Amino acid sequence: MKHLHQIPILIVTIIAALFPSALTYGQRSDDQVISVGANIGNVPWEFQDTQGRFVGFEIDLINEIARLMGKEVQIVNIPFNGLFSAVQSSRIDVAISSITITEERLKSVSFAQPYYDSDQSLTVRSDSPVKTVNDLRGKIVAVDTGSTGDIWTSENQQKYAYKEIRRYEGLAPAVLDLEIGRTDGYISDIPAMQYYTKDKTGLVVIERIKTGGSYSMMFAKNSALADEVNEVITSLKRAGYINDLHEKWFGTRAEATTSTAKITAMPGATDGMELNFVDTFLNEEVFLTTLPMLLLGLKTTIQLGFISIVFGLLVGLALALLRLYAHKTIGFVAKAYIDIFRSIPLLVLLIVIFYALPFVGINLSPFNAAATALIIVSGAYTAEIFRAGIEAIPRGQFEASQALGLGYRHMMIEVVLPQAVKIVIPPLTNNSINVIKDTALASVVAMPDLLKQATQAQAIAANPTPLIAAAGIYLALLLPLVLYVSHLEKKYKSREYA
Amino acid sequence: MKTLIKLKNVSKHYGNFKALSDINLEVAEGEVLSVIGPSGSGKSTMIRCINLLEQYDSTGTISVDNKLVKKGKTLREVRANVGMVFQNFNLFPHMTILNNVKLAPMRTNGLSEADATKRAHTLLREVGILDQIDKYPDQLSGGQQQRVAIARALAMEPKALLFDEPTSALDPEMVGEVLNVIKNLADRGVTMIVVTHEMGFARQVSDRVVFMDSGQIVESGTPSEIFDSAQEIRTRDFLKSVLSH
Repeated sequence: MKHLHQIPILIVTIIAALFPSALTYGQRSDDQVISVGANIGNVPWEFQDTQGRFVGFEIDLINEIARLMGKEVQIVNIPFNGLFSAVQSSRIDVAISSITITEERLKSVSFAQPYYDSDQSLTVRSDSPVKTVNDLRGKIVAVDTGSTGDIWTSENQQKYAYKEIRRYEGLAPAVLDLEIGRTDGYISDIPAMQYYTKDKTGLVVIERIKTGGSYSMMFAKNSALADEVNEVITSLKRAGYINDLHEKWFGTRAEATTSTAKITAMPGATDGMELNFVDTFLNEEVFLTTLPMLLLGLKTTIQLGFISIVFGLLVGLALALLRLYAHKTIGFVAKAYIDIFRSIPLLVLLIVIFYALPFVGINLSPFNAAATALIIVSGAYTAEIFRAGIEAIPRGQFEASQALGLGYRHMMIEVVLPQAVKIVIPPLTNNSINVIKDTALASVVAMPDLLKQATQAQAIAANPTPLIAAAGIYLALLLPLVLYVSHLEKKYKSREYA
Repeated sequence: MKTLIKLKNVSKHYGNFKALSDINLEVAEGEVLSVIGPSGSGKSTMIRCINLLEQYDSTGTISVDNKLVKKGKTLREVRANVGMVFQNFNLFPHMTILNNVKLAPMRTNGLSEADATKRAHTLLREVGILDQIDKYPDQLSGGQQQRVAIARALAMEPKALLFDEPTSALDPEMVGEVLNVIKNLADRGVTMIVVTHEMGFARQVSDRVVFMDSGQIVESGTPSEIFDSAQEIRTRDFLKSVLSH
């Protein structure tokens, strides 16, 4: 359920953008507590043990750092790609989650010195024909949204010619889909996957992909805390503590040349420029470089929205007619459908369709799963709208049609429905707005919709501008529809039929 | 003269309430029949049974032009043969006047667009609405709308017309124009059953008047038999109360 955090993060980011003074930058009011954001479930770095306690390499490290600084640690569970806007908006003081230091990210955030040198890895099913990265041609590759694996895989898309990159919100759903065969390989951080697969027979790490990344803790740009933590890390390295952690979690000590053992400078420390509000939330450079990604997401969102709206209307109309005019038993079934699917949260339905149906042999693609869920639910809502519309047509209209000898089909098509449509257009447009907004939930099933693309873009750039841009695009798409509904409601109110 | 509409032992129950009680009535071709009586006496229910807008009890039968009025394939044909004009006009508000009149002949009789338009023009001229054919119903007065409704019913070239209190929803100054149209039809020999509260009209235009009370036909006769020398005390009481105003 971690992906649920995406939407609150978007909202918080927007609130932060609109009301910067509401948040104190850099320093939090309670300086006895360090608020630590972590993508819990990222083994062996930060996860929960069987008693529900937070454990892991980085949890041990931040606890020790805080102890030495005389502070307390408060862990906040945030999905990986939400960590960037969380440090930037000062919702958290520091982020841990095997975050790779990149040039791109250093433009928007600060890192302490690295403490682990990592590479990416390719994990496949044990019986898979894929033996190396070169075998991925025409295959579906899974990555974590906005991760180093995502960045490397995207950059090498042409070289290896995969069929598709599917983006997940963390290890658990990505591994689940790999196991049931929806994807052919999973490219992600090697330590996590080695740790995860060490007692699993179904999956195997088959290749180290040398990306040469190093992990560290992430802070808001030029945060004073970053320098303090960096100094503590220096002393911990000197004492051999971090290499002790390496031995505890990986079973061996790191070589003396690695960043786990060697003291290094703070990355990007020479860049002393303070990022202001506009650079952080309305960064033109980030906006322009990520715009193509967002537009790609917009295309998917519109396609998904359009198909779901059109088929939802047809399903809804059929259900409404069945409920009103079919035999009692069929009418009851239609009513049951309508009541049930108006009661189930769309997100739950979507997860059931995508992750549960494969176990009974129904394996839908992310797009089809999302469209199916949206059509099922939209159909239930539009059925009620149509029913109300038809029932609002005066009885005399039916009687006049019957008295003229019109058949059922002509009565509905020529007399009843054209009048019902006028009544139902405002509520149907409202429903369409909701369907388009609900397409954002499809990012849960690795659908590259607008929200998904925006979160990926903000993680790669380590800057929330793409999320602000996505909010702007949603607004541009939906505000005209909202205004149109108001206009229609006013118009029909002023012209009522006798 | 040939019998066109025939009701035999027709009753109608709503649950335990008996709305019609053993009605027997025959209407001949070309006959103009007025049905009068107090509110709730079953007048409207009776004529709504004739085109099966209400289902009558299975103990009786209704036939139109020797065809039994019942659910099934023949119903549309029967309905096409019996036009109906409603108290509240029931024009289709989303269609122009012209299209209101054209719709049924095209869909039911299979008339071509051109023929249906021609027929609609003729009928709308007859009822005096020809200059308004591109307007929508809510742009017309009540009297005009009811005249359009009459034209729409006539467009099917029915063998008989049923009028269900055609002037009850009209402002007083518009009653005359609608009654005039109905009178012209009567003069032309159109078979009609008119449920009405307009006693002057019933007396002047009808061949026969039926008085109903409590779901029964109390008595029927020529206008002068009913209005001048009713046999039944209930008829006399009713006429006394409506004519004293």
